Amino acid sequence: MAAVTAAQGGRSSGGGGGGGAGGGPSCGTGSGRSGLLDKWKIDDKPVKIDKWDGSAVKNSLDDSAKKVLLEKYKYVENFGLIDGRLTICTISCFFAIVALIWDYMHPFPESKPVLALCVISYFVMMGILTIYTSYKEKSIFLVAHRKDPTGMDPDDIWQLSSSLKRFDDKYTLKLTFISGRTKQQREAEFTKSIAKFFDHSGTLVMDAYEPEISRLHDSLATERKIK
Amino acid sequence: MVRAGAVGTHLSTSSLDIFGDLRKMNKRQLYYQVLNFAMIVSSALMIWKGLIVLTGSESPIVVVLSGSMEPAFHRGDLLFLTNFREDPIRAGEIVVFKVEGRDIPIVHRVIKVHEKDNGDIKFLTKGDNNEVDDRGLYKEGQNWLEKKDVVGRARGFLPYVGMVTIIMNDYPKFKYALLAVMGAYVLLKRES
Repeated sequence: MAAVTAAQGGRSSGGGGGGGAGGGPSCGTGSGRSGLLDKWKIDDKPVKIDKWDGSAVKNSLDDSAKKVLLEKYKYVENFGLIDGRLTICTISCFFAIVALIWDYMHPFPESKPVLALCVISYFVMMGILTIYTSYKEKSIFLVAHRKDPTGMDPDDIWQLSSSLKRFDDKYTLKLTFISGRTKQQREAEFTKSIAKFFDHSGTLVMDAYEPEISRLHDSLATERKIK
Repeated sequence: MVRAGAVGTHLSTSSLDIFGDLRKMNKRQLYYQVLNFAMIVSSALMIWKGLIVLTGSESPIVVVLSGSMEPAFHRGDLLFLTNFREDPIRAGEIVVFKVEGRDIPIVHRVIKVHEKDNGDIKFLTKGDNNEVDDRGLYKEGQNWLEKKDVVGRARGFLPYVGMVTIIMNDYPKFKYALLAVMGAYVLLKRES
């Protein structure tokens, strides 16, 4: 009955210590896929992580919630938000590379104006990135579309966001539904201790987690039908 | 307490899987890991280039390598330099200069200056802790230094901090090992 208090200060696994499901290729239980890259992925295995590593716990809970929405309800993931962040980062790195190459070709005093331009642009992009991740992305890790079966109305949008404070065991998952037709927004969330979803060895038990997600989803979906 | 199923038990749980985080990622997340690493490198690079532009010196931060300027500077001190063209070089100032043909900058004090009306100067330097002036260090046949040899003028310093750089230069394998470990950590660990 003791709750798992993830309060072990400073204990980081550094990506090791039981992360993933061990080495070696996947057993391929009749999935029908081939190729080295597919063998390397471990999507279908039960997730096992270091239960004391807060970020690994949050990541695995987020990933599993994503899987439930995408596989059980067959929604389609929209990568717009993530692509925005990737583009901003790529542009920043581009400025850095330009500065590096230009300075190499024309040594310092001549390259001053170009360098100044690149440095200022880089830090401006960093500022834009910070604003983007704080205000536009917030803690949303999934944007999924439900295509309208009749093909006439615009898609309904489901958004998942979560939070898990450092050294805390309370995980909050928020599901937001934005109707395609009315543009109305409804949310549902739950806050539970992570001890409810993980067993003592750090394996995520989908039998305990999946009903929670479904409950959140159905509470928002049924409201729509009543209206 | 929830009990686990028997599915994962045949897999080794004691082996260190450093690629564990990477294996669970899709293409975009893998690209973001690489980008993350690139952004850290770029930030360091941009800060350095920014300092170069701001100070006007090609090497705004240098480490004192020898004891020739004691008791003012000791081996391992970090120096901050500026190199503004408007600042005149006067006797008594501490400058960092590079001798033609040599890579390593030297930090010594200016002891003699000759200046023409149009602003051209030639000057002589000497380390505070040395017996003789630096003519022995200059190029063959060179007796004076000019403005173009100057890397910058010392404006501030931090004691002892530069010892890290000296150690890393004396043991390059340590430097590469440290960089490799830090790089691997950033590339392999998933950011939350």
